Amino acid sequence: MRALTYQGPFKVRVENKPDPRLEHPQDVILKVTRTAICGSDLHLLHGLVPDTRVGHTFGHEFTGVVEELGSEVSQLHKGDRVVVPFNISCGTCFYCQRGLTASCENSNPSSDVACGVYGYSHTTGGYDGGQAEYVRVPFADVGPLKIPDGMEDEEALFLGDILPTGYMGAEMGEIKGGETVVVFGAGPVGLFAMRSAWLMGAGRVIAVDCVQYRLDFAERYAKVETVNFREVDDIVLYLKELFEGRGPDVCIDAVGMEAEGSLGQRVLGLGLKLEAGAPTVLTWCIDVVRKGGNVSIVGVYGPPWNLMPIGTAMNKGLTLRMNQCNVRRYMPHLLQHIREGRIDAKGIITHRFPLEEAPKAYHLFAQKQDGCVKCVLTPGHA
Amino acid sequence: MPDRPIPDAAVDLEPSSRPGVPMERTPQPMPGARVPIRVQHSDVRVFKHKGRAGFPPVFGTAQPPHGVSGLLRKVAYGYPDHLARHWMILLLADRVDVWEHRLARVGPWAVPTVGVLALTGLAWRKWSRA
Repeated sequence: MRALTYQGPFKVRVENKPDPRLEHPQDVILKVTRTAICGSDLHLLHGLVPDTRVGHTFGHEFTGVVEELGSEVSQLHKGDRVVVPFNISCGTCFYCQRGLTASCENSNPSSDVACGVYGYSHTTGGYDGGQAEYVRVPFADVGPLKIPDGMEDEEALFLGDILPTGYMGAEMGEIKGGETVVVFGAGPVGLFAMRSAWLMGAGRVIAVDCVQYRLDFAERYAKVETVNFREVDDIVLYLKELFEGRGPDVCIDAVGMEAEGSLGQRVLGLGLKLEAGAPTVLTWCIDVVRKGGNVSIVGVYGPPWNLMPIGTAMNKGLTLRMNQCNVRRYMPHLLQHIREGRIDAKGIITHRFPLEEAPKAYHLFAQKQDGCVKCVLTPGHA
Repeated sequence: MPDRPIPDAAVDLEPSSRPGVPMERTPQPMPGARVPIRVQHSDVRVFKHKGRAGFPPVFGTAQPPHGVSGLLRKVAYGYPDHLARHWMILLLADRVDVWEHRLARVGPWAVPTVGVLALTGLAWRKWSRA
Protein backbone atom coordinates (compact mmCIF):
# COMPACT_ATOMS: atom_id res chain seq x y z
CA MET A 1 0.00 0.00 0.00
CA ARG A 2 0.95 3.65 -0.22
CA ALA A 3 1.65 5.36 3.07
CA LEU A 4 3.26 8.45 4.47
CA THR A 5 6.50 7.58 6.29
CA TYR A 6 8.75 9.52 8.63
CA GLN A 7 12.32 9.90 7.36
CA GLY A 8 13.84 12.00 10.12
CA PRO A 9 13.22 15.48 11.53
CA PHE A 10 11.39 17.74 9.04
CA LYS A 11 11.19 15.00 6.40
CA VAL A 12 8.34 12.71 5.38
CA ARG A 13 7.59 10.97 2.12
CA VAL A 14 4.98 8.69 0.61
CA GLU A 15 6.20 5.22 -0.29
CA ASN A 16 5.14 1.61 -0.62
CA LYS A 17 4.99 -0.48 2.53
CA PRO A 18 3.34 -3.81 3.42
CA ASP A 19 -0.41 -3.78 4.03
CA PRO A 20 -1.35 -4.03 7.70
CA ARG A 21 -2.69 -7.40 8.84
CA LEU A 22 -4.98 -8.63 11.59
CA GLU A 23 -2.77 -9.21 14.62
CA HIS A 24 -5.43 -9.81 17.25
CA PRO A 25 -8.95 -11.28 17.17
CA GLN A 26 -10.44 -7.89 18.11
CA ASP A 27 -8.72 -6.06 15.20
CA VAL A 28 -10.19 -4.81 11.97
CA ILE A 29 -8.40 -3.51 8.90
CA LEU A 30 -9.81 -0.25 7.61
CA LYS A 31 -9.57 1.06 4.08
CA VAL A 32 -8.90 4.73 4.81
CA THR A 33 -11.21 7.20 3.06
CA ARG A 34 -10.16 10.48 4.67
CA THR A 35 -7.29 11.34 6.98
CA ALA A 36 -6.20 14.65 8.45
CA ILE A 37 -2.94 16.22 9.52
CA CYS A 38 -3.16 17.26 13.14
CA GLY A 39 -1.14 20.02 14.78
CA SER A 40 0.33 17.38 17.08
CA ASP A 41 1.67 15.52 14.03
CA LEU A 42 4.03 18.45 13.63
CA HIS A 43 5.68 17.57 16.95
CA LEU A 44 6.49 14.18 15.43
CA LEU A 45 7.63 15.75 12.19
CA HIS A 46 9.97 18.05 14.07
CA GLY A 47 11.57 15.15 15.95
CA LEU A 48 10.28 16.20 19.37
CA VAL A 49 8.58 12.96 20.40
CA PRO A 50 10.98 10.29 21.68
CA ASP A 51 11.03 6.91 19.92
CA THR A 52 9.74 8.13 16.58
CA ARG A 53 11.27 5.59 14.23
CA VAL A 54 12.16 6.01 10.58
CA GLY A 55 9.41 4.46 8.46
CA HIS A 56 6.64 5.24 10.97
CA THR A 57 3.31 6.23 9.43
CA PHE A 58 1.64 9.17 11.14
CA GLY A 59 -2.07 9.88 11.29
CA HIS A 60 -4.50 9.64 14.20
CA GLU A 61 -7.52 11.30 12.61
CA PHE A 62 -9.16 9.16 9.96
CA THR A 63 -12.33 7.66 8.61
CA GLY A 64 -12.52 4.43 6.68
CA VAL A 65 -14.46 1.45 5.48
CA VAL A 66 -14.15 -1.90 7.26
CA GLU A 67 -12.24 -4.20 4.95
CA GLU A 68 -11.30 -7.20 7.08
CA LEU A 69 -12.50 -8.38 10.50
CA GLY A 70 -10.87 -10.29 13.35
CA SER A 71 -12.62 -13.40 14.61
CA GLU A 72 -13.96 -11.76 17.80
CA VAL A 73 -15.35 -8.60 16.20
CA SER A 74 -19.15 -8.61 16.39
CA GLN A 75 -20.36 -5.00 16.22
CA LEU A 76 -18.83 -4.07 12.86
CA HIS A 77 -19.32 -5.60 9.44
CA LYS A 78 -17.44 -5.45 6.20
CA GLY A 79 -18.31 -2.23 4.39
CA ASP A 80 -19.26 -0.22 7.51
CA ARG A 81 -18.09 3.38 7.39
CA VAL A 82 -16.50 4.45 10.66
CA VAL A 83 -14.63 7.27 12.33
CA VAL A 84 -11.97 6.16 14.80
CA PRO A 85 -10.90 7.80 18.09
CA PHE A 86 -7.19 8.44 18.27
CA ASN A 87 -6.97 6.56 21.60
CA ILE A 88 -6.67 2.79 21.39
CA SER A 89 -8.79 1.66 24.31
CA CYS A 90 -9.83 -1.79 25.48
CA GLY A 91 -13.09 -0.78 27.18
CA THR A 92 -12.54 -3.08 30.14
CA CYS A 93 -9.51 -1.93 32.15
CA PHE A 94 -9.57 0.13 35.35
CA TYR A 95 -9.44 3.40 33.40
CA CYS A 96 -11.71 2.58 30.46
CA GLN A 97 -14.42 1.43 32.86
CA ARG A 98 -14.33 4.90 34.43
CA GLY A 99 -14.50 6.70 31.09
CA LEU A 100 -10.80 7.60 31.03
CA THR A 101 -10.08 5.90 27.71
CA ALA A 102 -7.00 8.04 27.09
CA SER A 103 -5.39 6.22 30.00
CA CYS A 104 -6.18 2.65 28.87
CA GLU A 105 -3.63 0.28 30.34
CA ASN A 106 -4.06 -2.49 27.78
CA SER A 107 -2.66 -0.94 24.63
CA ASN A 108 0.76 0.56 25.29
CA PRO A 109 3.76 -1.36 26.64
CA SER A 110 6.22 1.48 26.01
CA SER A 111 5.17 4.09 28.49
CA ASP A 112 2.74 4.93 31.27
CA VAL A 113 2.28 8.51 30.05
CA ALA A 114 -0.43 7.61 27.55
CA CYS A 115 -2.42 4.77 26.08
CA GLY A 116 -1.89 3.44 22.58
CA VAL A 117 -2.37 6.06 19.87
CA TYR A 118 -2.40 5.58 16.09
CA GLY A 119 0.65 6.89 14.31
CA TYR A 120 2.15 8.67 17.27
CA SER A 121 5.57 7.05 17.78
CA HIS A 122 6.50 4.00 19.84
CA THR A 123 6.09 6.07 22.98
CA THR A 124 2.36 5.54 22.43
CA GLY A 125 2.58 1.89 21.53
CA GLY A 126 4.17 1.63 18.08
CA TYR A 127 1.02 1.54 15.98
CA ASP A 128 1.19 2.77 12.40
CA GLY A 129 -1.32 5.53 11.70
CA GLY A 130 -3.99 6.36 9.19
CA GLN A 131 -2.09 8.52 6.68
CA ALA A 132 -2.06 5.47 4.47
CA GLU A 133 -4.38 3.42 2.30
CA TYR A 134 -5.05 0.89 5.06
CA VAL A 135 -4.71 0.85 8.84
CA ARG A 136 -4.99 -1.73 11.60
CA VAL A 137 -7.62 -0.81 14.22
CA PRO A 138 -7.43 -2.77 17.51
CA PHE A 139 -10.42 -3.16 19.89
CA ALA A 140 -12.68 -2.48 16.93
CA ASP A 141 -15.92 -3.08 18.82
CA VAL A 142 -15.03 -0.45 21.40
CA GLY A 143 -13.54 2.59 19.65
CA PRO A 144 -14.88 3.16 16.13
CA LEU A 145 -18.19 4.95 15.65
CA LYS A 146 -20.34 4.13 12.64
CA ILE A 147 -20.94 7.17 10.44
CA PRO A 148 -24.69 7.62 9.94
CA ASP A 149 -26.10 7.19 6.44
CA GLY A 150 -26.32 10.48 4.63
CA MET A 151 -23.41 12.00 6.52
CA GLU A 152 -20.20 12.67 4.61
CA ASP A 153 -16.92 11.27 5.93
CA GLU A 154 -15.50 14.79 6.19
CA GLU A 155 -18.36 15.88 8.43
CA ALA A 156 -17.49 13.09 10.89
CA LEU A 157 -13.71 13.05 10.46
CA PHE A 158 -12.88 15.42 13.31
CA LEU A 159 -14.89 13.40 15.84
CA GLY A 160 -11.73 11.27 16.07
CA ASP A 161 -9.64 13.93 17.76
CA ILE A 162 -9.74 17.69 17.41
CA LEU A 163 -13.45 18.30 17.96
CA PRO A 164 -13.67 16.25 21.19
CA THR A 165 -10.30 17.65 22.27
CA GLY A 166 -11.48 21.24 21.81
CA TYR A 167 -14.77 20.47 23.55
CA MET A 168 -12.99 18.79 26.45
CA GLY A 169 -10.70 21.81 26.69
CA ALA A 170 -13.71 24.04 27.28
CA GLU A 171 -15.34 21.49 29.56
CA MET A 172 -12.27 21.31 31.80
CA GLY A 173 -12.56 25.08 32.17
CA GLU A 174 -15.68 24.30 34.23
CA ILE A 175 -17.77 27.04 32.66
CA LYS A 176 -20.98 27.58 34.60
CA GLY A 177 -22.41 30.49 32.61
CA GLY A 178 -21.16 33.98 31.88
CA GLU A 179 -17.45 33.32 32.41
CA THR A 180 -14.70 35.07 30.50
CA VAL A 181 -12.59 32.62 28.53
CA VAL A 182 -9.26 33.16 26.79
CA VAL A 183 -8.23 30.50 24.29
CA PHE A 184 -4.55 30.50 23.37
CA GLY A 185 -4.09 29.13 19.87
CA ALA A 186 -6.44 29.74 16.94
CA GLY A 187 -5.65 26.46 15.26
CA PRO A 188 -8.23 23.70 14.76
CA VAL A 189 -8.38 22.58 18.41
CA GLY A 190 -8.55 26.18 19.60
CA LEU A 191 -11.38 26.94 17.16
CA PHE A 192 -13.43 24.02 18.48
CA ALA A 193 -12.64 25.02 22.07
CA MET A 194 -14.02 28.51 21.31
CA ARG A 195 -17.22 27.14 19.77
CA SER A 196 -17.59 24.75 22.69
CA ALA A 197 -17.11 27.54 25.22
CA TRP A 198 -20.10 29.32 23.67
CA LEU A 199 -22.12 26.09 23.79
CA MET A 200 -21.35 25.85 27.51
CA GLY A 201 -22.55 29.38 28.14
CA ALA A 202 -19.37 31.45 28.25
CA GLY A 203 -19.99 35.18 28.50
CA ARG A 204 -16.99 36.37 26.51
CA VAL A 205 -14.45 34.43 24.47
CA ILE A 206 -11.11 35.82 23.27
CA ALA A 207 -8.66 34.09 20.94
CA VAL A 208 -4.92 34.78 21.23
CA ASP A 209 -2.44 33.86 18.51
CA CYS A 210 0.32 35.47 16.45
CA VAL A 211 -0.87 34.30 13.02
CA GLN A 212 -3.21 37.00 11.78
CA TYR A 213 -5.06 34.95 9.17
CA ARG A 214 -5.94 32.39 11.84
CA LEU A 215 -7.25 35.10 14.12
CA ASP A 216 -9.36 36.43 11.24
CA PHE A 217 -10.63 32.89 10.66
CA ALA A 218 -11.49 32.58 14.36
CA GLU A 219 -13.47 35.80 14.26
CA ARG A 220 -15.55 34.47 11.38
CA TYR A 221 -15.83 30.83 12.44
CA ALA A 222 -16.13 31.08 16.21
CA LYS A 223 -17.49 34.63 16.58
CA VAL A 224 -14.83 35.60 19.11
CA GLU A 225 -12.75 38.66 19.85
CA THR A 226 -9.09 38.31 18.94
CA VAL A 227 -5.68 39.50 20.09
CA ASN A 228 -2.44 39.17 18.15
CA PHE A 229 0.17 38.88 20.90
CA ARG A 230 2.86 40.28 18.63
CA GLU A 231 0.91 43.54 18.42
CA VAL A 232 0.82 44.20 22.16
CA ASP A 233 3.75 45.00 24.45
CA ASP A 234 3.02 42.38 27.08
CA ILE A 235 0.25 39.87 26.48
CA VAL A 236 -0.13 39.06 30.19
CA LEU A 237 -0.61 42.67 31.23
CA TYR A 238 -2.83 43.34 28.20
CA LEU A 239 -5.19 40.50 29.01
CA LYS A 240 -5.29 41.26 32.71
CA GLU A 241 -6.17 44.85 31.91
CA LEU A 242 -8.91 43.67 29.59
CA PHE A 243 -10.59 41.97 32.53
CA GLU A 244 -10.54 44.71 35.17
CA GLY A 245 -6.94 44.02 36.13
CA ARG A 246 -7.77 40.54 37.40
CA GLY A 247 -7.61 38.44 34.27
CA PRO A 248 -10.15 36.04 32.77
CA ASP A 249 -11.92 33.25 34.64
CA VAL A 250 -10.67 30.51 32.34
CA CYS A 251 -7.59 30.07 30.15
CA ILE A 252 -7.30 27.25 27.65
CA ASP A 253 -3.91 26.16 26.28
CA ALA A 254 -4.59 24.86 22.80
CA VAL A 255 -1.00 25.27 21.63
CA GLY A 256 1.34 22.96 23.51
CA MET A 257 5.02 22.36 23.15
CA GLU A 258 5.93 24.43 20.07
CA ALA A 259 4.66 27.80 21.21
CA GLU A 260 6.02 31.07 19.87
CA GLY A 261 6.46 34.08 22.12
CA SER A 262 9.56 33.34 24.19
CA LEU A 263 13.00 33.07 22.66
CA GLY A 264 14.42 31.62 25.87
CA GLN A 265 11.87 28.80 26.05
CA ARG A 266 12.33 28.01 22.37
CA VAL A 267 16.10 27.81 22.70
CA LEU A 268 15.90 25.65 25.82
CA GLY A 269 13.10 23.38 24.68
CA LEU A 270 13.23 23.20 20.91
CA GLY A 271 16.88 23.99 20.24
CA LEU A 272 18.82 22.44 23.11
CA LYS A 273 16.15 19.88 24.13
CA LEU A 274 16.77 20.69 27.78
CA GLU A 275 13.02 20.62 28.36
CA ALA A 276 10.15 19.04 26.46
CA GLY A 277 9.37 21.90 24.10
CA ALA A 278 8.47 25.50 24.87
CA PRO A 279 5.76 25.88 27.55
CA THR A 280 5.29 29.58 26.85
CA VAL A 281 1.51 29.41 26.54
CA LEU A 282 1.15 27.38 29.70
CA THR A 283 3.17 30.02 31.51
CA TRP A 284 0.97 32.76 30.09
CA CYS A 285 -2.18 30.90 31.11
CA ILE A 286 -1.01 30.67 34.71
CA ASP A 287 0.08 34.32 34.76
CA VAL A 288 -3.04 35.67 33.04
CA VAL A 289 -5.93 33.78 34.62
CA ARG A 290 -7.55 35.37 37.65
CA LYS A 291 -6.85 34.05 41.14
CA GLY A 292 -8.95 30.97 41.78
CA GLY A 293 -9.47 30.56 38.05
CA ASN A 294 -9.20 27.50 35.85
CA VAL A 295 -6.44 26.59 33.41
CA SER A 296 -7.29 23.86 30.95
CA ILE A 297 -4.49 22.22 28.99
CA VAL A 298 -5.18 20.32 25.79
CA GLY A 299 -2.05 21.41 23.93
CA VAL A 300 0.37 18.51 23.81
CA TYR A 301 3.43 18.40 26.05
CA GLY A 302 5.89 15.56 26.18
CA PRO A 303 8.04 13.94 28.84
CA PRO A 304 10.18 14.36 30.85
CA TRP A 305 9.75 17.96 32.13
CA ASN A 306 9.05 21.62 31.45
CA LEU A 307 9.92 24.90 33.09
CA MET A 308 6.61 26.39 34.22
CA PRO A 309 5.60 28.59 37.17
CA ILE A 310 3.97 26.06 39.48
CA GLY A 311 4.56 28.40 42.44
CA THR A 312 2.43 31.08 40.81
CA ALA A 313 -0.31 28.55 40.17
CA MET A 314 -0.19 27.40 43.78
CA ASN A 315 -0.24 30.86 45.25
CA LYS A 316 -3.06 32.02 43.00
CA GLY A 317 -5.14 29.01 43.97
CA LEU A 318 -5.64 27.88 40.40
CA THR A 319 -7.32 24.74 39.21
CA LEU A 320 -5.19 23.08 36.54
CA ARG A 321 -6.96 20.47 34.48
CA MET A 322 -5.45 18.56 31.61
CA ASN A 323 -5.64 15.32 29.72
CA GLN A 324 -5.34 13.69 26.38
CA CYS A 325 -8.96 13.64 25.29
CA ASN A 326 -11.05 10.61 26.27
CA VAL A 327 -12.45 10.75 22.77
CA ARG A 328 -14.96 7.89 22.71
CA ARG A 329 -17.25 9.28 25.40
CA TYR A 330 -17.64 12.58 23.50
CA MET A 331 -18.37 11.17 20.06
CA PRO A 332 -22.17 10.62 20.24
CA HIS A 333 -22.80 14.01 21.87
CA LEU A 334 -20.71 15.90 19.35
CA LEU A 335 -22.11 13.92 16.43
CA GLN A 336 -25.48 15.26 17.53
CA HIS A 337 -24.12 18.82 17.63
CA ILE A 338 -22.84 18.41 14.07
CA ARG A 339 -26.11 16.96 12.82
CA GLU A 340 -28.11 19.76 14.41
CA GLY A 341 -25.89 22.45 12.92
CA ARG A 342 -24.36 23.74 16.14
CA ILE A 343 -20.86 22.88 15.00
CA ASP A 344 -19.78 23.00 11.37
CA ALA A 345 -16.85 20.61 11.77
CA LYS A 346 -16.12 20.42 8.06
CA GLY A 347 -16.03 24.22 7.92
CA ILE A 348 -12.47 24.39 9.20
CA ILE A 349 -11.03 22.46 6.24
CA THR A 350 -9.07 24.85 4.08
CA HIS A 351 -6.96 22.43 2.04
CA ARG A 352 -7.43 18.99 0.51
CA PHE A 353 -4.64 16.93 -1.03
CA PRO A 354 -4.25 13.43 -2.40
CA LEU A 355 -2.21 11.22 -0.05
CA GLU A 356 0.64 11.32 -2.58
CA GLU A 357 1.03 15.03 -1.88
CA ALA A 358 1.17 14.63 1.89
CA PRO A 359 4.74 16.05 2.20
CA LYS A 360 3.55 19.23 0.47
CA ALA A 361 0.55 19.37 2.80
CA TYR A 362 2.81 18.99 5.85
CA HIS A 363 5.02 21.80 4.63
CA LEU A 364 2.07 24.11 4.00
CA PHE A 365 0.51 23.33 7.38
CA ALA A 366 3.76 23.63 9.32
CA GLN A 367 4.74 26.90 7.66
CA LYS A 368 1.18 28.28 7.98
CA GLN A 369 1.12 29.23 4.32
CA ASP A 370 -1.78 29.97 2.00
CA GLY A 371 -4.22 30.56 4.84
CA CYS A 372 -3.96 26.94 5.93
CA VAL A 373 -6.06 25.96 8.94
CA LYS A 374 -6.69 22.26 8.34
CA CYS A 375 -5.42 19.81 5.71
CA VAL A 376 -7.29 16.67 4.74
CA LEU A 377 -5.66 13.87 2.73
CA THR A 378 -7.44 11.45 0.44
CA PRO A 379 -5.86 8.07 -0.39
CA GLY A 380 -5.81 7.17 -4.07
CA HIS A 381 -8.61 4.59 -3.90
CA ALA A 382 -11.06 6.80 -1.99
CA MET B 1 -20.93 39.95 24.61
CA PRO B 2 -23.11 38.97 21.64
CA ASP B 3 -26.58 37.76 22.72
CA ARG B 4 -26.41 34.62 20.58
CA PRO B 5 -22.88 34.34 19.25
CA ILE B 6 -23.56 30.95 17.64
CA PRO B 7 -26.72 28.85 17.13
CA ASP B 8 -27.89 27.23 20.36
CA ALA B 9 -25.32 29.02 22.53
CA ALA B 10 -25.42 27.73 26.12
CA VAL B 11 -27.15 24.51 25.04
CA ASP B 12 -24.59 22.63 27.17
CA LEU B 13 -24.79 25.06 30.08
CA GLU B 14 -25.94 22.35 32.46
CA PRO B 15 -22.74 20.50 33.47
CA SER B 16 -24.55 17.17 33.65
CA SER B 17 -25.27 17.45 29.91
CA ARG B 18 -21.55 17.36 29.17
CA PRO B 19 -20.07 13.95 28.31
CA GLY B 20 -17.00 14.40 30.50
CA VAL B 21 -18.88 15.32 33.69
CA PRO B 22 -18.18 13.78 36.12
CA MET B 23 -14.64 13.04 35.05
CA GLU B 24 -14.75 9.51 36.44
CA ARG B 25 -17.84 7.42 35.89
CA THR B 26 -19.15 4.59 38.00
CA PRO B 27 -17.03 1.69 36.73
CA GLN B 28 -18.63 -0.41 34.03
CA PRO B 29 -17.34 -2.04 30.84
CA MET B 30 -17.79 0.04 27.70
CA PRO B 31 -20.29 -1.09 25.07
CA GLY B 32 -18.74 -3.69 22.78
CA ALA B 33 -15.92 -4.51 25.19
CA ARG B 34 -14.98 -8.17 25.40
CA VAL B 35 -13.26 -10.05 28.21
CA PRO B 36 -10.99 -11.84 28.59
CA ILE B 37 -8.72 -10.09 26.11
CA ARG B 38 -6.63 -12.64 24.29
CA VAL B 39 -2.91 -11.94 24.27
CA GLN B 40 -1.47 -10.80 20.95
CA HIS B 41 1.38 -12.83 19.52
CA SER B 42 4.33 -11.06 17.91
CA ASP B 43 7.18 -12.31 15.77
CA VAL B 44 9.10 -9.07 16.22
CA ARG B 45 10.82 -7.51 19.22
CA VAL B 46 8.59 -5.13 21.17
CA PHE B 47 9.93 -3.27 24.19
CA LYS B 48 8.22 -2.73 27.51
CA HIS B 49 9.57 -0.05 29.81
CA LYS B 50 11.05 -1.27 33.05
CA GLY B 51 8.48 0.45 35.25
CA ARG B 52 5.58 -1.53 33.83
CA ALA B 53 4.66 -4.73 35.62
CA GLY B 54 3.35 -6.85 32.76
CA PHE B 55 2.99 -6.78 29.01
CA PRO B 56 -0.38 -5.48 27.72
CA PRO B 57 -2.46 -7.88 25.63
CA VAL B 58 -2.44 -5.60 22.58
CA PHE B 59 0.42 -3.55 21.15
CA GLY B 60 1.87 -2.19 17.93
CA THR B 61 4.48 -4.06 15.93
CA ALA B 62 5.45 -1.38 13.43
CA GLN B 63 9.15 -0.65 12.76
CA PRO B 64 10.86 -3.29 14.92
CA PRO B 65 14.15 -2.16 16.48
CA HIS B 66 17.30 -2.77 14.46
CA GLY B 67 21.00 -1.96 14.39
CA VAL B 68 22.75 0.41 16.75
CA SER B 69 19.56 2.42 17.29
CA GLY B 70 17.83 -0.79 18.33
CA LEU B 71 20.53 -1.48 20.90
CA LEU B 72 20.13 2.04 22.26
CA ARG B 73 16.37 1.57 22.49
CA LYS B 74 16.91 -1.66 24.37
CA VAL B 75 19.08 0.21 26.87
CA ALA B 76 16.47 3.00 27.16
CA TYR B 77 13.63 0.58 27.87
CA GLY B 78 15.75 -0.94 30.60
CA TYR B 79 14.93 2.21 32.59
CA PRO B 80 11.44 3.11 33.81
CA ASP B 81 9.81 6.04 32.05
CA HIS B 82 9.94 8.42 35.02
CA LEU B 83 13.71 8.71 34.57
CA ALA B 84 15.02 11.35 32.17
CA ARG B 85 17.70 8.96 30.88
CA HIS B 86 14.95 6.75 29.41
CA TRP B 87 13.78 9.61 27.20
CA MET B 88 17.18 11.07 26.42
CA ILE B 89 18.53 7.74 25.20
CA LEU B 90 15.43 7.30 23.04
CA LEU B 91 15.98 10.72 21.47
CA LEU B 92 19.60 9.74 20.77
CA ALA B 93 18.44 6.44 19.27
CA ASP B 94 16.05 8.36 16.99
CA ARG B 95 18.94 10.41 15.56
CA VAL B 96 21.11 7.31 15.13
CA ASP B 97 18.19 5.58 13.39
CA VAL B 98 18.03 8.42 10.84
CA TRP B 99 21.75 8.10 10.08
CA GLU B 100 21.49 4.32 9.80
CA HIS B 101 18.75 4.70 7.21
CA ARG B 102 20.69 7.37 5.32
CA LEU B 103 23.76 5.15 5.17
CA ALA B 104 21.68 2.17 4.12
CA ARG B 105 20.11 4.26 1.37
CA VAL B 106 23.30 5.75 -0.04
CA GLY B 107 25.46 2.66 0.59
CA PRO B 108 24.50 0.69 -2.54
CA TRP B 109 25.72 3.45 -4.85
CA ALA B 110 28.13 5.34 -2.62
CA VAL B 111 30.42 2.36 -1.88
CA PRO B 112 30.95 1.38 -5.57
CA THR B 113 31.30 5.03 -6.53
CA VAL B 114 33.99 5.63 -3.92
CA GLY B 115 35.71 2.39 -5.03
CA VAL B 116 35.71 3.42 -8.68
CA LEU B 117 37.00 6.90 -7.84
CA ALA B 118 39.79 5.45 -5.68
CA LEU B 119 40.83 3.01 -8.37
CA THR B 120 40.71 5.76 -10.98
CA GLY B 121 42.87 7.96 -8.77
CA LEU B 122 45.41 5.20 -8.24
CA ALA B 123 45.51 4.45 -11.97
CA TRP B 124 45.94 8.13 -12.76
CA ARG B 125 48.85 8.48 -10.33
CA LYS B 126 50.51 5.38 -11.74
CA TRP B 127 49.99 6.53 -15.35
CA SER B 128 51.24 10.07 -14.68
CA ARG B 129 54.43 8.70 -13.07
CA ALA B 130 55.08 6.38 -16.00
